Amino acid sequence: MSQTTKKSILKDTHIRHLYQRAGFGISPKTVEKLSGLKKKEVVKKLFKSSKSITHLYLPTPDIDAFMQTDTPKKNPKKFRQLIKVSRSKLKDYNLVWVDKMATSNEELRERMTLFWANHFVVRTNNIVFSQHYNATLRKYALGNFRDFVIAIAKEPAMLSYLNNQQNRKGKPNENFARELMELFTLGIGAYTEKDIKESARAFTGWGHTFKGEFVLRKKQHDFGEKEFFGVKGNFNGEDIIDLILKRPECAQFIAKKIYLHFVNDIPNEGRIEELAIVFRENYNIEEVMRHLFMANWFYEKDVIGQKIKSPIDLLVQLKRTIPFSFKKPNEFLYIQRLLGQVLLEPPNVAGWSEGRNWIDSNTMMVRLKLPSVLFMNGTIAFDVKGEFEDSFEEFNKKKSNFNRRLTVTKNWEVFHENYGHLNYEELYHNLISTTTNKGTQEFLQSLKKTNKQEFCVQLMSLPEYQLC
Amino acid sequence: MKRRDFLKNSGLASTALFVPSFVQAYETTDVTPRDKKIVILQLSGGNDGLNTLVPYTNDIYYKNRNTIARNKHEVLAINDTHGFHESLADFKSLYDAGYVSVINNVGYPNPSRSHFRATDIWHTASGSGEYLKTGWVGRYLAEVSKKPLGAIEVDDTLSLLMKGKTINGIATKDASLFYKTTKDAYFGKMLDKYTASHLSEHNLGYLYKTVVDAKSSVAQIYEKTKVYSSSQEYPNNAFGKQLKTISEFINSGLETQVYYASLGGFDTHANQLNSQKRLLDVYSKGIATFVKDLKETGAFKDTIIVTFSEFGRRLKQNAAKGTDHGAANMVFLLGENLKHPGMYNKPDNLLNLDSNGDLIYEVDFRNIYASLIKEWLETEPSSILNGKFKTLDLV
Repeated sequence: MSQTTKKSILKDTHIRHLYQRAGFGISPKTVEKLSGLKKKEVVKKLFKSSKSITHLYLPTPDIDAFMQTDTPKKNPKKFRQLIKVSRSKLKDYNLVWVDKMATSNEELRERMTLFWANHFVVRTNNIVFSQHYNATLRKYALGNFRDFVIAIAKEPAMLSYLNNQQNRKGKPNENFARELMELFTLGIGAYTEKDIKESARAFTGWGHTFKGEFVLRKKQHDFGEKEFFGVKGNFNGEDIIDLILKRPECAQFIAKKIYLHFVNDIPNEGRIEELAIVFRENYNIEEVMRHLFMANWFYEKDVIGQKIKSPIDLLVQLKRTIPFSFKKPNEFLYIQRLLGQVLLEPPNVAGWSEGRNWIDSNTMMVRLKLPSVLFMNGTIAFDVKGEFEDSFEEFNKKKSNFNRRLTVTKNWEVFHENYGHLNYEELYHNLISTTTNKGTQEFLQSLKKTNKQEFCVQLMSLPEYQLC
Repeated sequence: MKRRDFLKNSGLASTALFVPSFVQAYETTDVTPRDKKIVILQLSGGNDGLNTLVPYTNDIYYKNRNTIARNKHEVLAINDTHGFHESLADFKSLYDAGYVSVINNVGYPNPSRSHFRATDIWHTASGSGEYLKTGWVGRYLAEVSKKPLGAIEVDDTLSLLMKGKTINGIATKDASLFYKTTKDAYFGKMLDKYTASHLSEHNLGYLYKTVVDAKSSVAQIYEKTKVYSSSQEYPNNAFGKQLKTISEFINSGLETQVYYASLGGFDTHANQLNSQKRLLDVYSKGIATFVKDLKETGAFKDTIIVTFSEFGRRLKQNAAKGTDHGAANMVFLLGENLKHPGMYNKPDNLLNLDSNGDLIYEVDFRNIYASLIKEWLETEPSSILNGKFKTLDLV
């Protein structure tokens, strides 16, 4: 083997790193399959398996029927009942989504979908809107950013979340226009208040029907001339999005967001600029992601094992290693709540703040306790808060219970199949990606290693496991 | 290590907590203890202010609330226009004694009517269009207390209010349970091997530091408070329990300055009368016991209790005998050192409403925060509030 070929081969640690960031981890069996391949080939395979789009669909026949043929005005009682059904379906949707992330082979698409869900943030009580939204995120996750932004702007979930339903000619509601620029495309400071006012006019009349179809309400749309970023014209919403994408700040803003999420929570201006240049060329998301995963700096020491897993990352990775499920779905939501991230329930339009924002004394203790709670019948002493909509009884009934045990079914066979052939040191390297310090090494050496299941849970209970 | 040790909180549990030397070094970065305490209570869900302090001679009120208006003969009148809800008898006694300031029409421009967003705004002291990642108490911790123990949320999950950039408060409603959790033998041995130099590592150091913080803070709370038990009989409900915990934390001499708890259930979209009646009763009796407790131990003179709700409710009732999300609302301050006991300002006359039919704010909530920080905690508020807000001469 010549020196250059040897160099271009992606090391096993780097394969694991790539899959940690681009997916949700990788099993040792799969690493063995990819071992010895060149970086280009590994990255190519990663993208190839995400070429397909498998949507996440949960049937909601009663709600569908009502939305097609009924209205809240005609049938308010049924409507109120279906709101409850919708809420409970959203909980199911949360669970099937986590399941999908833990089992899908379209790993990169799953990762990108989760990433965009925390970029184009919405929150809705309507399960139909939520599913439609999720499908759009998947469809464009690796596609063209311009088409993506336009599709998002026409989503019923977004139109209602950011009050564009109330955005009318002569009485503009600026909420969507503001967040479009501040949070979705340019970042704060890259536009003026006047730009917001003018662009809000271009989105007047953009709404959705009760059935969930996008409509341009012509009577409410302001067809007049607008002045946006110093250019005058009878702009509509699409025109505004095109003008936004012409600004260099847009590619920079998205590149930075991608860098902070996929690479490191400490920004590196040179690398971000490099990504922005690639992105701006075609606004093709796949291209910029490929560039990122091919970059030498992506595999440097200051990147590997430095990122704090989000609660969902943590749960999905645990699930990929040792598949588990709860007897009561609410128990899984309870865990998500304790960890500070309930899927489909972002705190606000800015989404979850990542990195160290996930960590406080309480969430940290829950993280460390979690593996033993899930896999070894351990107990958990924390309660969650009641929700805003709860009645007095619901809000206050939750009793403190030190011996709370959750009913978890775990599939150790899968673990043994994938990890059983490894020795203890290999097991360690497959589960922990950050560099080990002397103290932790000593501690691990002090543990009696007689049982791989147990050692696995012990490794997962380390602060080191919180990093990827 | 045996599986038994790993799973159960045994072994180390009966002996004193093992504290590695670097932890002790870390803990000694002490600041002078401060006496002044603030207890922040949130009526979560959006309390209906108009049925809390009832404008019992105002026709507009009765016209808009034909089935849920409070009867003028039942309200506990404080003057010839306004009276408290009949559930607030104990609270009214505190008011009559001069221990309560009612600040009316509190809010901010472009109010949010989402529970989540409005709560974030109150917690972070942000404007309506700003998304801050830290709470104002978290920023106070970072600037003044410099340790997690400076602020405690009496709950098991930590709210944004308590989060700072480099330092967070602690959430616990049962210090002994949290203590037992942190004393898990596995964690003890794990920290035992960890050395000080690693605390400087980027994210890994932060994670270890957080575990160390949790462990030492909770141990301090537990050790300090286990010997003290309140002699007062608190109402037997979750809110009563939270207030009792706060009283025990304060009275056992914990250095913590800020406490936060919430009472939920105020989202009264339907059949509001009964639920609000009971909620206000829980609030009134709980707070009266709490004040009595603090007075007897002498801690009341150093304590200010702030009660807020993320928004008020709409003047016009809805079809389900409830009220929908509104805007401006009142804030209660309780203490012995109030500059304006009674009504700080006049309640709204209901003539000028916004386009949703909601009360328009007159006092920005950040002016109240500024006053509490400056006048009570004797700290310059501008960096904590990210801006200059005038103080209101409240305490």
